[in-house]
Amino acid sequence: MAEILEGIKYRIAESLTTYTRTLLNCHYADIRIEINDTRWASAEDGKPKSAGKDEGGSFGIRVIAGITKKAPGYYGRIFGLKDIDKIEELIKEGLNHAHARALANSKNKERLSSALEGFGKTLWDTQLASVEIHRDTVPAIYKIAPGTIAPQEILRLSEEASKRIKGLSGIQFNDITVYTQSIGELFVSTEGALIDQYFAYTQGNVYVVASGKEGQQELYEYVGDQRGWEAVSEGINVQGMNLLDFSMRVAKDALALADAKPFRSAEKEAVVVTDPYFNTLLSHEVIGHPTEADRILKYETAYAGRSWLFRNFNENFIGKQVASPLITTYSDPALPGYGHYKYDHEGTKGKRVMHIDKGILKDFMNSRQTAALLGTEPNGSYKATDASLVPLIRMSTTVFAQGNTDPRKIIGDVSDGYYLWGMHTPSISESRENFTISAIKTYRIHRGELKELYRGGGVSADSMSFFMSVDAVGNDFKIYPIANCGKGQPMQTKRLGNGGPTLRGRARVVGTG
Amino acid sequence: MISLDVLKKIDSDGLDFIKTQKDISDAEIFISSLSHLLSRVNYTSSIPCNGVEEPKSTLSYGVGVQAVFKEGNKKRIGFGSQIGDISIDGIKSAVEKAKLSAVEDPDFYGLPVPSGAPILETGYYDQRLMDISDDKLVEFGWKALEGALKTFKEHNMMESIIVGGDVSIVQERMAIASTTGIAAWDEAANASASMTAMIESDNAKGSGWDIGMRLSDFAPENAGKSAAMSAIHSRQGRRVPSGKYRLILGPQAVADLLCHVVLPSLTLSVVDASSSTFLKKYGERVADKRLTIFDHGAMPDFPMSRRYTCEGLATGRTDLIKEGVLTGFLSNDYYRNKVLKDPSSKDKIGAEPAAIEPAFTPRNGFRPGESMIRNFMARPSIAPTNVIVEGSEITPLDDLVKMIGEGIYIGRIWYTYPINGLIAGDFTCTVIGDSYIIEGGRMAAPLKPNSVRIADNIHNLLNQVIGMTGDRKPTLLWGASEVIYSPEIAVRDISLHSIG
Repeated sequence: MAEILEGIKYRIAESLTTYTRTLLNCHYADIRIEINDTRWASAEDGKPKSAGKDEGGSFGIRVIAGITKKAPGYYGRIFGLKDIDKIEELIKEGLNHAHARALANSKNKERLSSALEGFGKTLWDTQLASVEIHRDTVPAIYKIAPGTIAPQEILRLSEEASKRIKGLSGIQFNDITVYTQSIGELFVSTEGALIDQYFAYTQGNVYVVASGKEGQQELYEYVGDQRGWEAVSEGINVQGMNLLDFSMRVAKDALALADAKPFRSAEKEAVVVTDPYFNTLLSHEVIGHPTEADRILKYETAYAGRSWLFRNFNENFIGKQVASPLITTYSDPALPGYGHYKYDHEGTKGKRVMHIDKGILKDFMNSRQTAALLGTEPNGSYKATDASLVPLIRMSTTVFAQGNTDPRKIIGDVSDGYYLWGMHTPSISESRENFTISAIKTYRIHRGELKELYRGGGVSADSMSFFMSVDAVGNDFKIYPIANCGKGQPMQTKRLGNGGPTLRGRARVVGTG
Repeated sequence: MISLDVLKKIDSDGLDFIKTQKDISDAEIFISSLSHLLSRVNYTSSIPCNGVEEPKSTLSYGVGVQAVFKEGNKKRIGFGSQIGDISIDGIKSAVEKAKLSAVEDPDFYGLPVPSGAPILETGYYDQRLMDISDDKLVEFGWKALEGALKTFKEHNMMESIIVGGDVSIVQERMAIASTTGIAAWDEAANASASMTAMIESDNAKGSGWDIGMRLSDFAPENAGKSAAMSAIHSRQGRRVPSGKYRLILGPQAVADLLCHVVLPSLTLSVVDASSSTFLKKYGERVADKRLTIFDHGAMPDFPMSRRYTCEGLATGRTDLIKEGVLTGFLSNDYYRNKVLKDPSSKDKIGAEPAAIEPAFTPRNGFRPGESMIRNFMARPSIAPTNVIVEGSEITPLDDLVKMIGEGIYIGRIWYTYPINGLIAGDFTCTVIGDSYIIEGGRMAAPLKPNSVRIADNIHNLLNQVIGMTGDRKPTLLWGASEVIYSPEIAVRDISLHSIG
């Protein structure tokens, strides 16, 4: 993989620079190329279902062109490795399309600026905030390279995990899917950037349906890391478990929940203690998403929503208190896990972005274009799931910062309340101003001890009220992988990291009924 | 896009090559060429913006081979694909991958065999949609935006305006051939516009859609106009307290609930996994007797209609719920065969599978991937096509509103999740726009967006129907491949939680 990108990167850079000079009123262009190698297998109820290996590539092009009102145009393509020999030809074809779209876009922008009086004033001359230009190579992190693992070896592990689960009494169905993947990315721009980065990802998915005293319970969880095969074979991941142990843990939890009574919604607020795994989804939905600058600037109004933190340049919470002084949150691509990278997909070096500092709202994840609009510095948060797709502003690893209280004390100090463990499903308002997030397991806390286990419980609260109510933050910081965050049109499903420590606050605990 | 003649020729040549391979007992070759063009709109009247933010496209083509390898008495099934190479070399490469990864799946009983002639005639789509220029793609996006902005201007609304959404053109060609007699090809294209408009200072949000099977009929500006008009009508929304309500669910709300809660449970693979909320319910009443839901992949001039599935089988109508009774499941060939042979299936379905085989005729074996359903890199799974909801008794909307008396019209929801898993049927979602409070038998005021969350059970909802309108409207949901046509459906005693 590295050999392929190494073999073409200088040619691509040269070709981009030379060819774009021939394109009329072209002000900027960049190309992202990705090569990947994926191996996978699946087993169901102890039986082999599939195995495979695939490799391929994709590229995406952005051109900014025009005369008085510059505008962007894009082009994306998926290609086979055989196409590498003619990649420059394919890229020229793509540049022509992206350029034609940018010019047409610019002309329409100019036309509408004058045709629809009043509305035209905000149609701007597209700008990208300036960044330091990098030329760099960033290796992948792994102990056992994904490319050395045969599909049949993955199948053996999947089958073994599935057979073990099937052996448990009360299990009605199970499905295990495992993959290991290598990715190489190349970024070149007309500004001179030339960056190739390499990544390894490995993940195991566990789906179980169990039957018990209280009916049936399905549970889906995954374990993985931005690592090689060791992530599932040796348990080098946040769960600290290999796939066999992890899948058994999920199956046993499903059985315990099938015996547990469903949680009935409480009418009043209660003390809630949420564990790092639950707070992974909380930090994702209620901290990460509303601090993405494309939502701030309304790009996502039709899809993923806006942000309650920013109505407009005059009405927003920047510099204001939005959470308890115990709460600090940030995104940082330097952290390990699914959200780790050095440069984003427009060549900007990733930086830690402080969202909430001791309760005060500070900053948002951005791209070069949104940074120019917001008058701030780019922080390297512009990422695409695949090179053929246009990047979006994405979380790297967005977390609640570590506190200093032992989580046992956080629970121990609660007279009556609830402990919610593990992330399950979210239901979020459009601008993320309130949320309901359900847990895998809900326990009642009585006199500082965990008591009955319930299934189906969740926290429902106004975002700001809940964050203001937090009175304890644990010293048990963890980062979990999020495997499937959907955003964009067409929908891009992305891997990233979230997490934090144990938190204690006040909220309504909801369940069925 | 690769021409259909080239795809068919390669498929035929590939099959000749497969037949020379002594270790392969059966195989199918699926070749597709796909293009998705999209013009994404983002306009804000108070923040600098591009108007049309992303005029873009994604192009791909390649081959996927599913092959059965003989090894003594054993049979192993494998799948391999090759991107960007539809020559014989590409097919050879895919076969090698299939061989390397083949597994002995005891639930695999053979590749599909021909199922009969397709319902749709060739040429059922507009050829002009297959040839959209860069200028035209960009123009579509601006038209959708202009439709919204002109509407706002006509109503003297120039401040705090947001317009977003996209115009999308899907182009696809495929050919499939197998040693079991499948020889099918298909090509299709359609255009759609999905727009959202807001008057942010009034917290008013509206949606609009337009779907075009013919280029001449496609008017993305209509989606923009509808979105803007709906936003204008939604200004200064009011809140409602938590409680049980009579609701009229608009087409988008019905579609969202179907997409995330109902249709997965009507999919044969989900039933087979014991995780459907309709387990053991075949032949039973699962919904109000006036309610019928079916999938139809061969209706002329419907956007998800195709001649063949990605297994090379004819598409057609599958009744899922007929007059309230569970009558069928979305299926592909693999799951049809598995369910027929698996002794535990009777318990999962609630009927002897062999006795109800037409209930899971494999008309939905597609290969979904990033808004397209003909992904050569995937084996066939199960995907809905055009899903139609209809009622046996039709009530005009005005009369339905009068029947409701006091309640809420729910026009747009999101984040719909089966919160305790599909089996339980419990779901939550948040109401984010296009909704109104009904008082005294009329739409009295807009409902404030993001102020209520629905939390109930799908079985309650399906069985507490008050009435339905007759006008089926299409909804394209974000991230979904199917298009759902639904009327408004009124239901009683549904739990709403006040939020925010």
